[in-house]
Amino acid sequence: MVEGDPRIHVTLPSALREYARGCDTVDLEAGTLAEVVARLAAQFPGLGYRILDDQGRLRRFVNAYVNDEPVSHLEPQDVRLRDGDTVHILPSVAGG
Amino acid sequence: MAKPKKGDTVVIAGTRKGLFLFHSKDRRTWRSGGPFFKGDTVRHAILDPRDGKTLYAAVTSEHWGAVVARSTDFGATWKIGEEGPRFSKESGLSVTRIWQIQAGQDGDLYVGTEPAGLFRSTDGGETWASVDALNYYPGREEWPPGAGGLGLHTILPYPGDPKRMLIGISSAGIFGTNDGGASWRNMDAGIRSFVEGETNKETAATCVHKMARDAKDPALVYQQNHIGVYRRARGEDAWTRIEKGLPLNPAYKAPFGFPLVAHPHDRGTAYVAPLEGDGNRVMPDGAMAIYRTANGGKSWAKLTKGLPQKDAWFTVLRDAMRADALDPAGLYTGTTTGQIYASRDEGDSWRLMADHLPQVQCVETGIVGSA
Repeated sequence: MVEGDPRIHVTLPSALREYARGCDTVDLEAGTLAEVVARLAAQFPGLGYRILDDQGRLRRFVNAYVNDEPVSHLEPQDVRLRDGDTVHILPSVAGG
Repeated sequence: MAKPKKGDTVVIAGTRKGLFLFHSKDRRTWRSGGPFFKGDTVRHAILDPRDGKTLYAAVTSEHWGAVVARSTDFGATWKIGEEGPRFSKESGLSVTRIWQIQAGQDGDLYVGTEPAGLFRSTDGGETWASVDALNYYPGREEWPPGAGGLGLHTILPYPGDPKRMLIGISSAGIFGTNDGGASWRNMDAGIRSFVEGETNKETAATCVHKMARDAKDPALVYQQNHIGVYRRARGEDAWTRIEKGLPLNPAYKAPFGFPLVAHPHDRGTAYVAPLEGDGNRVMPDGAMAIYRTANGGKSWAKLTKGLPQKDAWFTVLRDAMRADALDPAGLYTGTTTGQIYASRDEGDSWRLMADHLPQVQCVETGIVGSA
């Protein structure tokens, strides 16, 4: 963790809460979306695997929003965060 | 689900929507449990033949990735892997599905993935290591995917020799190792080409669907391919067609289907479930039939007693048929319309064992406590 990283509020979907010891929100410090997932993975082993693929990208049917802005199309390390941002991790509407 | 007892037969059905377990003392009356992993695809699952106790399930969530889960209490509790197998950053590849789980002869656990990869675990599926010599095989960038993707769907350890293994990839073909996975070579000679009238060379990419080793001679392998059914023994330089008596796909004038099961005890005995063809992947004429050879493939006999003979417009997928290890052997066949048919007399007659399941992806079987 870098001193002075932005404080971020993260919301998790119900499907991921079993990997986060039941938490539906997590507060952490991170400068990018990639760092958010890294912090989550450090705190909750296995959670990062559910969000990012082998190449460090969001899985195909995982969406991320920063506040109200969709950022799923961006590389997670390129998604810059500001103090007070909320990151939403959501499953896309897919499958049947 | 009541816990099965030692000696019970267990049948595992992996489906598009979860895992189902069945067990029976006499193979007539079955108790069922599940679904486990609701909503997720269980492409393959096994009862570890090394202890007859540990279940391993390949669980794929379209959203959250693919992992292996294990249970040592027949599904009462599951330990889900924190992570699944991963390709390296340098590869540019990402695992999206686990096609196959097998217990290796070396004590390791192996999985085959989509895109095609072979991974081994020394800790029961907690962590995975890439078998690099196969996963980064020269020319893999040219491996063509099949209709179901580029899947490593078949892993055949060699009984008693942990150095030997065959694997099958749709549609990159068949690869073998004699040195514990340090090196691999193609083994595709003799399989028909998609170009009519031509036969593939050893290094061709072919669409293997399933392989199985002969019960008495593990160096003899049977194969259901996209184009034909074959056998090959160690020392032979090509696969040989074994198709007399099988229905033919009109497009290639060769049998088409997915599963191939070897009898657990009898030399030269194997089973296939032919479909009409690759353009129409259903039972021919809507009548379900399993075919058996008892002479190493010289001829095949049609088995239909107890199987639906009309309106059977389904597929039997590549891992959806298995034999148990009892005598007489039992056979179990799952359909894409959610039925499991079971035979307790080596395929001579069948009974509906389960119905209304989600699409059956795999059927596996084992004997409780049979190490």
